[in-house]
Amino acid sequence: MSDPSQEPQKFEPRIVAFLCKWCSSAGSDLAGVSRLQYSPNATPITIPCSGSVSPLYILSAFNKGADGVLVSGCHPGDCHYMEGNYLARRKLYLVKELLQFVGLEPDRFRMSWVSAAEGAKFAQVVDGFVKDIRTLGPQNRLRR
Amino acid sequence: MTRRTGVFVCHCGKNIAATVNVKKVAQELAKDEGVFFSEDYVYMCSDPGQGAVIDAIKKNNLDGMVISCCSPNLHEKTFRDASELGGLNGFQCEIANIREQCAWVHKDIGKATEKALKITRAAIKRVQRNQPLEPIGVPVTRRALVVGGGIAGIQAALDLTDAGLDVILVEKQATIGGNMIKLSETFPTLDCSQCILSPKMVAVSKNPKIRLMTQSEVESVSGFVGNFRVRIKTKAQYVDPEQCKICDDCTAVCPVAVPNQFDQGLTNRRAIYIPFAQAIPASFNLDEEACLGLNPVVCGKCEEVCEAGAIDYDRKPTVTEEDVGAIIVATGFDLYGMDKLGEYGAGRYKDVLDGLQFERLCSASGATGGHVLRPSDHRVPKEVVFIQCSGSRDPENHCAYCSKICCMYTAKHATLYKHHVPDGQAYIFYIDIRSGGKGYEEFVQRTMENDGVVYLRGRVSKVYQKDGKLRVLGVDTLTGTNVEIDADMVVLAQAMQPSKGTAEIAKTLKIGRDKDGFLAEAHPKLKPVESVTAGIYLAGAAQGPKDIPETVSQASAAAGKVIALLSKAELAHSPAVARVREPWCTGCEMCVDACPFEAIELVAGKARVNEVLCEGCGSCSGVCVRSAIDVKNVTQLQIHEMISAILA
Amino acid sequence: MVNPKEIRDYAAGLLEQGRVKSVIGYRRGTAGCFAEPCTLTEPGEAGSLVWDPTCLNNLALYLVKDRKQQAASRTPDRRPIGIVAKGCDSRAVAVLLQENYFKREEVVVIGVSCEGTGVVDPRKLKNSLKGRSALKVEFGGGESIRITTRAGESELPAREVLADRCLECREATPKLHDVLFGESLAERGYDAPFRAVKAAEATSGEARWATWQHHFDRCLRCFACRSVCPLCYCPECVVDSTSFVITPQTSAEEKANRIRWCERSANTAESALYHLTRAIHLAGRCVDCGECERVCPVNIPLRLLNTKLEMEAFEQFDYQAGRDYDRPALISSFRDEDPNSFIR
Repeated sequence: MSDPSQEPQKFEPRIVAFLCKWCSSAGSDLAGVSRLQYSPNATPITIPCSGSVSPLYILSAFNKGADGVLVSGCHPGDCHYMEGNYLARRKLYLVKELLQFVGLEPDRFRMSWVSAAEGAKFAQVVDGFVKDIRTLGPQNRLRR
Repeated sequence: MTRRTGVFVCHCGKNIAATVNVKKVAQELAKDEGVFFSEDYVYMCSDPGQGAVIDAIKKNNLDGMVISCCSPNLHEKTFRDASELGGLNGFQCEIANIREQCAWVHKDIGKATEKALKITRAAIKRVQRNQPLEPIGVPVTRRALVVGGGIAGIQAALDLTDAGLDVILVEKQATIGGNMIKLSETFPTLDCSQCILSPKMVAVSKNPKIRLMTQSEVESVSGFVGNFRVRIKTKAQYVDPEQCKICDDCTAVCPVAVPNQFDQGLTNRRAIYIPFAQAIPASFNLDEEACLGLNPVVCGKCEEVCEAGAIDYDRKPTVTEEDVGAIIVATGFDLYGMDKLGEYGAGRYKDVLDGLQFERLCSASGATGGHVLRPSDHRVPKEVVFIQCSGSRDPENHCAYCSKICCMYTAKHATLYKHHVPDGQAYIFYIDIRSGGKGYEEFVQRTMENDGVVYLRGRVSKVYQKDGKLRVLGVDTLTGTNVEIDADMVVLAQAMQPSKGTAEIAKTLKIGRDKDGFLAEAHPKLKPVESVTAGIYLAGAAQGPKDIPETVSQASAAAGKVIALLSKAELAHSPAVARVREPWCTGCEMCVDACPFEAIELVAGKARVNEVLCEGCGSCSGVCVRSAIDVKNVTQLQIHEMISAILA
Repeated sequence: MVNPKEIRDYAAGLLEQGRVKSVIGYRRGTAGCFAEPCTLTEPGEAGSLVWDPTCLNNLALYLVKDRKQQAASRTPDRRPIGIVAKGCDSRAVAVLLQENYFKREEVVVIGVSCEGTGVVDPRKLKNSLKGRSALKVEFGGGESIRITTRAGESELPAREVLADRCLECREATPKLHDVLFGESLAERGYDAPFRAVKAAEATSGEARWATWQHHFDRCLRCFACRSVCPLCYCPECVVDSTSFVITPQTSAEEKANRIRWCERSANTAESALYHLTRAIHLAGRCVDCGECERVCPVNIPLRLLNTKLEMEAFEQFDYQAGRDYDRPALISSFRDEDPNSFIR
């Protein structure tokens, strides 16, 4: 007989989502206006541009116990500031490679391009990410 | 850091309250460090709601305010204004979006409430470190630059001068007039294009407030809205327009003949030429690429015969620097390349024409003096096939988009053809007829009924030459039969594409382009004439396919925007700009290179931000390895606190 | 083969002519046969300069130290400095120039090619001598190292004793130099570039984490890696604020509001954060001189983290730190064709 109180609590991934103000945050607003239901595990932080994301934001989030980190910006060519997302792409590619190199599961860091018109895509990206992280379980490697 | 933060959690009626336990959120937050006031309210954006914000700030002496409600895109300004009325600086108020990003997208009340708490806590952490900021005032230069001298540029320039502004009109070609001046008649009223456009061209040349610079291109742009500095490169002016008497003596002696672009290559011109009789500026030009050598030893015939002494082979290109407050880009369109339409025999058979060539055949001033004749043998074509969507609406092979004007101008072409050749037969292959616009549908109907034009719904698969005719193989999908027509002439209604050089000008001006290469507007619906860069506006077909009335409307709209912009003595610029923490800065210039706006320069070994140029994107802080540069009110410290709040 | 006398004469000449205020080079150390860094200010001292496979240090560090000294000095002496530079040292100088740490005319680079070899790894040398200590280590010509012990002279294949960084070196000849001694050799038959990184990548993520967890766990946070790195010259390290910059303008709020990205405690997670941040901050800047790894008291293979990113920079972005110092830095530039497929 199993004691229900002894059962491990269901794992709820904690995700920090950095959304650029002009595309991805607006896209998430559109998901809201369209009443698209998606997983509540990702908490958004709106930033001016994906290019403003310092690698430290990602490392720090993992350090503070995030199970996953998402950075979402405008599609290439669509950046409100013209070039910020290209800078983000190069920089965060390096962060992703480094994290994988030391053995963090590749699925814990994700980047996406979500335009202001892609509410449905935003919901899919979050749901897909949460699903992948549920499979991985809690992130303990870089967590303090 | 502020210590007396206030929080309002909005129910938004049931919009938020149905999914988020707003009372609980407000109660929990009241326990947080630095939170001095926390309440929920049913409709924050209502008048009493805004009043509550003002009261709360005054009564509790708050130094920071978080409104947990809908997207900041909707009511950030509302609540910042209310906070100001309460005595705060507007930037000490932040919005936590718990509607679009939480209540509306989740069902589980427990989880949504937890997420709303995190979102609001992050906003509290942020606002506690927000600085009060004041908008940055920037004086403006009351002059405008218009790039492109087609109908869009001409209209915009004239409208701007009507408001008393000085205008620099830059045109790459030797004359203004653009594509429109090449047209014979215009749909749906069939008024002659030259008759309606040349008075405007003359008005440009006579207008003392317009500085017209033909054969010129914008080389570089620096500065920012209200204060741009542009460098304009002008080709060598071998013929002085002031002195040229347009006597035409020079062309008689010029030994060179090259295709005349104005007639779309249907005729030839000399190396020294005037594009057409009504060209503005009214002057001959020397085509330096075609000329035998700009050297009296080699040729020099035109210089010898010019009695006015207007020709000088020693002229050099010039570069002019001008200050302007705003820029309108009206660089127009080109037709989709004939070289890409080999399936229709384009470029292979002389009698397969592009749309503008057919205009030149119909035009009284055109290649054949207004007679529709086959270029190959100068016979009157008795059967003409028009092919719509040549290059449009074909994502696999050509352009995916609809070029919008081709349905109408093809109907016009067919009508004009019937007027010129009453016993001829016109066929039009089409996919759909798109005739939205005043009088447009009626025009198409007249073409079908009065001019007996045969409309065939279907695509043409191939055009080839047989027995001196052009055999057109197509399909009529309405009857389900294959169609073969032995035509004397084929006219393609090609897609419009951004004019050659659009990519370069977009890069020079740092404005975006859409996936098809057209200049991108700042918002597809609400900002259709603004580019993404403040102070730069778009007009005409450079922004997307459009007809003349729409082009003129957009040009006037862009001019109106510029007039409004330059009507103020000062412009307000967002103060959420980058700030350097000097002791940390080593002057490595990574931020300088990363800044998309060239807003950072090195002064005495440290980065310095030009606050007027800075748009606050934070690319600088994203690359600074020393964390020595931050965007005000979105500092790395604030983001760090927000991450901590979310993961606490 | 490089004749050390030529270096000495050149250095003496620079000092004699007053072209430099000092020359940074190597002299015979006091402990064993290894060379140590030195700063010469008189032409007469030039005779002490040495050049052999024990010239391990990246001397660019001392340019940085001088710059910091001059910045703090009331009477800063900004006259140029001469520096003896191997390929890696010269790349570090190039990155410092790229980052405007000093101007090109403020440094005279006395380039020395490592030719067919490089510098030795003291640990490998010790192993190969089976405990005996070397009295002298010299270039043997070609791909060999000549070693003198009390038992006599012997030649070893360089491969056996060279430092790992030298085995993977892609540019043993300084590209940036004012004068160059030694042959420029294009082909060196040691390891393929990034061999160690590629080998590590061939293992599973689990295995890699096990390794790095082990290493991060042992990190003492002594910051030797940071201290020895010529490119870790930030006034304040963002992940450890022992060097927090306080100027008369520093407000109390700024003092209180330092971002604590990383806690001081030397546990696995905080050490991981420190090392990962350091690696990412050196992306496109690390010249693979291997000094961090050499000085690590607990033998953390730090080079791997940096070379991993240098490999990505090279393979994905056609970027090499120290190759073109007038070009924008790796992370403040981009190309349209940068990798995009990893983004959803």
